[in-house]
Formats: sequence, structure tokens, C-alpha cells
Amino acid sequence: MNYNLIYSQVAGHIPYLLGGAILTLELAVISFMVGWAIGLTNASILHFGPRPARLAVRGYVTFFINTPLLVQIFFIFFVLPDAGILLSPYAAVAIGMSLNAGAYLTEIQRAGFQSLRREEIDAATAMGFSVPQIVWYVVLPHIAKALYPPLSNQFIIQVMTTSIAAIFAVEELTGRAYNVNSLTFRSLEVFSIVAIIYLVLTLACSLALALLGRWLFRVKARVF
Amino acid sequence: MWEQLLEDAPRFFGIWNLMFLGQALLNTLLLSYLGAAFGFAIGFSLAIGRHPRLYGIAPIHLLATAYVEVFRRIPFLVKLMCIFFAFQLSGAQVSLFTIALVTVVLSAAAFAAEIARAGIEAVPAPQWDAAEAMNFSRWKVLTQIVAPQSWRVVLPPLFGYAVGFIKSTSIASQIGVMELTYAAKILNTRGFSALLCFGTILIVYFLICWPTKRFGEHLEARLGRRPKI
Repeated sequence: MNYNLIYSQVAGHIPYLLGGAILTLELAVISFMVGWAIGLTNASILHFGPRPARLAVRGYVTFFINTPLLVQIFFIFFVLPDAGILLSPYAAVAIGMSLNAGAYLTEIQRAGFQSLRREEIDAATAMGFSVPQIVWYVVLPHIAKALYPPLSNQFIIQVMTTSIAAIFAVEELTGRAYNVNSLTFRSLEVFSIVAIIYLVLTLACSLALALLGRWLFRVKARVF
Repeated sequence: MWEQLLEDAPRFFGIWNLMFLGQALLNTLLLSYLGAAFGFAIGFSLAIGRHPRLYGIAPIHLLATAYVEVFRRIPFLVKLMCIFFAFQLSGAQVSLFTIALVTVVLSAAAFAAEIARAGIEAVPAPQWDAAEAMNFSRWKVLTQIVAPQSWRVVLPPLFGYAVGFIKSTSIASQIGVMELTYAAKILNTRGFSALLCFGTILIVYFLICWPTKRFGEHLEARLGRRPKI
């Protein structure tokens, strides 16, 4: 069968699609930030908390890492209303993505904190550093450098994961692609353009994060 | 909520529903494990074809790099829709399952190529030089120097990615592949409570993913402990 790709009908909708990309980034940033806060709290609990709290955090991380995000959001979106909690699609997706990111970011940050060695602090103490100085000059630079690459990687994953929001009729990039598709019926054209937008978006994010990391923490992150 | 759950549960776990869910589980397993296996095989070939000191030839190297970069930076849902419509427009008569399988294979290949590249790069440079000095063929370098050392680096993370693909197959419910998530949606539409439908498959997914991930971690600990050659 012959089919000619005709992009002219879709071209007019590109600004509309790019508007969706902004919502995609917004959702990624929100879920990443909330997930980061969850991860930071959990990683501290894993290091300093009492045993029951540590077990609870372990359970949360294991469960969320080993089940699909889509089903988690289905659960939040369709089950919580039975318990009297009504959520908008956007809120359900944001909460699901944050909880999911929180589990991954707990793991990442736990490993990052573990990479700090006792000897470094001992050496700083021996050199006469005060506690705030140790934190500022030894602990934080080490952790920032160790955590920056996996954290920026997680952010890129977060950008791509937002596409799941389209299934719940949130009008982000993929959601708008569904809309344009039902308007023009140029399905392959629409989705190939959206694929390219995602490619450019994640590449731009990777590049920006790599430059930022080099400038802030002297991390040599590779984009490719 | 809880009274309704207790009332629904015996009806939900009836023989027909269990068979229906079993069929869906089988599809999920086939889709993810078959897809991952084929994909990893293709990914390894790509990594070998990409490496300048193995079989890397400039055009193949560029194509493989482009493929790996592109397929790792597009969301699974968008890839699925692209492949779905591409098949539809080409007029080929293929099942929805095949379309989803192709998507999983293509994504798995891109990720595996990256892991395999890391594995190949883990072989120290002097060994390459030594092999060259001793006039080893490329095939001999691959089978006798690279493969025996890099499989320890490559194997454990593959299980982590396999878990990722088990989870991604839930997105295949979007085009109507009869897998776990789609089955849960159907049961939910038939009137069973959302808590039962989605709660059950969450547990089933967990029971598939968790052992796979644990096995990968076990391998990582075991292979990491042994002395490096």
C-alpha cells in the first residue's frame, strides 16, 4: 500500500504542540522537586531513623520501583475517589509521578550519602575545621559531585515519563498530539513530529544540566 | 469501600476472571521477556558494530549511534504510537501484540547497546594493544578477550532494564494489547471495584518484577565479589 507523508496539514499545529512541551517540562519539574524532597527525607531516615521507619521506607521504595507508574496512577485516579478523595487528572498524574520519582531518588541519594567516607571527615577534623566548615567544604561538595550525574539523569527520565499523563487526558506534549491527531488524522506525521520534539527537549535538558554541573560542581557529565 | 470489597472479592476471584487474568499475565510475560531477549541480542550486535576496534565501520557506527540516542530519548508511549501507525499505514496485517513486541524489542536494543558499550569499554586499553600486537583477528578479540571479561559488567544491569520493560508493557494497554493493565481496565468496566482490579494487578506486577530485580542484584553481588581476570 502506498501512503504519502503529508506534513503541511500538521505544520500549522506545531506551535500548539510546543505549548504542550512547556506543560511537559512543568510536570517534570514539579514531580522531580517533590520526589527529591521525598527522597531526601527517606534517605535521611534510612541513615538515622529508627528501625520501623527504615522498614517503612524500604517497603515504599521496593513497592514503587517494582510496579508500573501507569498502574500506580490508575490506582490513584480510580480508587481514591471511592475513599472520598477526588483528584483532577493533572493532580493524580503529578502525585503518582512524584511518589514514583521519590522512590528512585531515595535509592540514588542513599547511595550518594554512602559514598562519603569517614576518613574525609576525620581528616578535616584533624586539620582543625569547625563543624559548619566540614559540612560546607567537605561533605556538601563531595555529595554534590557524586549525586549530580544520577540526579540529572533522573530528571531526563522524568521528562519522558510525563507522556503517561496523556492517557489521563492531560494536555501536555503527547496529549496535544492525540488532539491534533483527531483533528487532522495525519497520525504518523503528528507522532513523528512529537518524537522529534521529545528528542530535542531531552537533548537540550541534558546539555543544560551538563553545563550547569560543570559550572557549579565541576562535574564532567557526558551528554552522549 | 471495605464492605463492597468483601462483597465483590469472591465474585472477582471466580474461575473465569482468574483465567482471564492468567491469559493477560502470560501476554505480559511474553511481551516483556521475549522483547527483552530479542532486544538485548540486537543491542549487543549494535554495540559490537559500533566499536571502532571491533567491527566499527564509519557509516554503521554513525547509524548505530543515532539509533541508540534517538530511541533512548523518546518516551515509550510515543514510540508505540509511531510504530502502531507506521504498521497501520504500511498496510501490513499484524496483531497488536506484534506491534507492542516490536516496540519493546527496539527500545531494549537501544538500552542494551549502551550497557554493552560500557562493558566493552571496561576492557583496559593495553589488552587491546596486546591483542593487536599478537595479530588476533577481530573475532578472536571479541570471543576470547572482550566477552569473557565484559559479561560480568553487562549481565547484572540487564535485569534492571528487564524490570523497566515489564513495567513499560503496561503502556501497551493504550493500543489494546490484552495484557494485565488492559485486563484490569476491562474488569473495571464490567463493574468490579477499581480497588480490586488495579490492586490485584499491582500485586501481580510486583510479584513479577521484584524477583527479577532481586536476581539481578544477586548476580551483581556474586560477580562483583570474584577477582577480576
